[in-house]
Amino acid sequence: MNHQTRVYDNVFELLPNEQNPSPLVRINRMNPVPEFALYAKLEWMNPFGSVKDRAAWTMLQDLEHRGELGNGRGIVEPTSGNTGISLAAMARARGFHMRAVVPNKVPLEKKVLLKIAGAQLDVVSDELCPAPGLGDGSINIAKTHAKASRDKYAMPNQYENEKNVEAHFQTTGPEIWRQTEGKITHLFVSLGTCGTVTGTSRFLRSKNPNVKVIAVQPTEGHDVPGLRNVTQLGVSKLFDSSLVDDIVEVEFRLAYSRAMELCQTEGLLAGPSSGLIYEGAREIILRDKAGCGVMIFPDNIFKYTSNMMKHIPGLASGNQA
Amino acid sequence: MANYANPEVLVETDWVKANLGKPGLKLVEIDVDTKAYDAGHVPSAVGFNWQTQLQDQVRRDIIGPDAFEKLVGGAGISPSDIVILYGDNNNWFAAYGFWLFKIYGHNDVRLMNGGRVKWLNEPDKQMTTEVPKPAPVTYKASANHLDLRALIPQVFEAQKGGKWNLVDVRSPDEFTGKVIAPPGMSETAQRGGHIPGAKSIPWSTAVKPDGTFKSADELRSIYLDQKGVDPNKDTIAYCRIGERSSHTWFVLKYLLGIKNVKNYDGSWTEYGNLIAAPIEK
Ligand SMILES: Cc1ncc(COP(=O)(O)O)c(C=O)c1O
Repeated sequence: MNHQTRVYDNVFELLPNEQNPSPLVRINRMNPVPEFALYAKLEWMNPFGSVKDRAAWTMLQDLEHRGELGNGRGIVEPTSGNTGISLAAMARARGFHMRAVVPNKVPLEKKVLLKIAGAQLDVVSDELCPAPGLGDGSINIAKTHAKASRDKYAMPNQYENEKNVEAHFQTTGPEIWRQTEGKITHLFVSLGTCGTVTGTSRFLRSKNPNVKVIAVQPTEGHDVPGLRNVTQLGVSKLFDSSLVDDIVEVEFRLAYSRAMELCQTEGLLAGPSSGLIYEGAREIILRDKAGCGVMIFPDNIFKYTSNMMKHIPGLASGNQA
Repeated sequence: MANYANPEVLVETDWVKANLGKPGLKLVEIDVDTKAYDAGHVPSAVGFNWQTQLQDQVRRDIIGPDAFEKLVGGAGISPSDIVILYGDNNNWFAAYGFWLFKIYGHNDVRLMNGGRVKWLNEPDKQMTTEVPKPAPVTYKASANHLDLRALIPQVFEAQKGGKWNLVDVRSPDEFTGKVIAPPGMSETAQRGGHIPGAKSIPWSTAVKPDGTFKSADELRSIYLDQKGVDPNKDTIAYCRIGERSSHTWFVLKYLLGIKNVKNYDGSWTEYGNLIAAPIEK
């Protein structure tokens, strides 16, 4: 492994850590307060394409080390796509099978990518009037497989697995601390399983208790894959509200229009959850006026062309001769 | 503390575990999405598909007595058996099944409190993918209690006000017509809103965070005192396609013991499509 020449013995050596951090890129044209240095951490530069490489690898390694995998036993996991794509590719490369249970509203691109990455795919309807406190359909189906077919499946369960938090405590946090030379004042994140927010903030707060953590959430009834509104956070055991200073709610369609703007004015091909985080960061920058902010951009736009067509007028037309 | 009016119609997961395999006890999982049953179910439970097995596949209707007899007999269930129903989505579809078993006069049918998710999340409960192959028996339906069902003439009658309680168990956004159906649902209507005079009492009002029913005292205080359901009047519960309303029908009729409660299974997908029917928003 050589990070200078970038020659590696296997793809896993590319996974991010303090010695090989995902890039931090400064926002220029879209920064409303130039005295406030604003950076985007490009998680799509990770080898399997998203921030979820970190949690997926740490959870998979943990299962392997504990002897939970092998002899026909693979994994089953509920996912909005990114965790599944990372886990499937990793698991298959390590010789294990993978079953992904996804909510129906996951974009078509992700469903197909999951199959290409080698996952067996179950699509379930999560929308049927969410039940109080009982978790989502996809989580429950995955749990059912893990319970009824123990010999075939181990379930990492990103919503409850402390390794998801640990991944960010050991990599994302230290990377940001080093990349900003300890100057970070604001961290901007979104909420899905909450592994990112909890692990990264816990590390940064251990270095500087004054680092502000801002979580950006979409409005209720949203269509931003991978994210949750706090009203949907019951399923995530990893959310620690004591680490979050502000929760900024953003009209979910802005996630799409801001993502498009990032593509077209900053050259950052950011996905909708990044667009949402950017909008939240913008509001806080205008309020706080000075500082050094880091936005964690979970993934890029390539998996969302069908969603973009749904939410950005004009993209769906003119695509045929 | 007061008891449910008919405590015998509800069993706990622990009771089911303790009684698994006893002769005369039959378990049925009823799901809208049978992926759940296929992924794993309570040992010995057969699976019914709400869409394809409990609905007539030609006309829009519940299955008739012949089809019911064939389905239930084919699952190895005799009229004298104790039937335990449970399912996905908080037992909505199991409650619909309960309603159907009662229409056709099955004597001892019960719901497993909390449904499949409660069982799933209890570490001491087993699940299996093994599908039982019961020997079919001849089942004769003992009744045809269509008085448990509201059809449109009664709904019009109720809508005129005064004599009936009309209970709309859908979400507040469906009640006000902000949405016609929950997002992603294919069965829908031409118009949004609710039946004039209906009280909005979402189905989830009846359950605790773990999906089990609230106590009799709590239910009585919510439905009768706070929401003003008059137990001396006849009652119709409705939702969108009649499954969430079966859940509330079960609460009103069996847990609270209100006498004449009907489930309007046509619900909003019928009413919201009628020409010239009055609608409130
Ligand atoms: C696109 C996208 N954005 C954001 C997130 C949220 O990250 P986390 O699950 O660590 O809260 C996820 C992960 O689920 C995601 O897939």
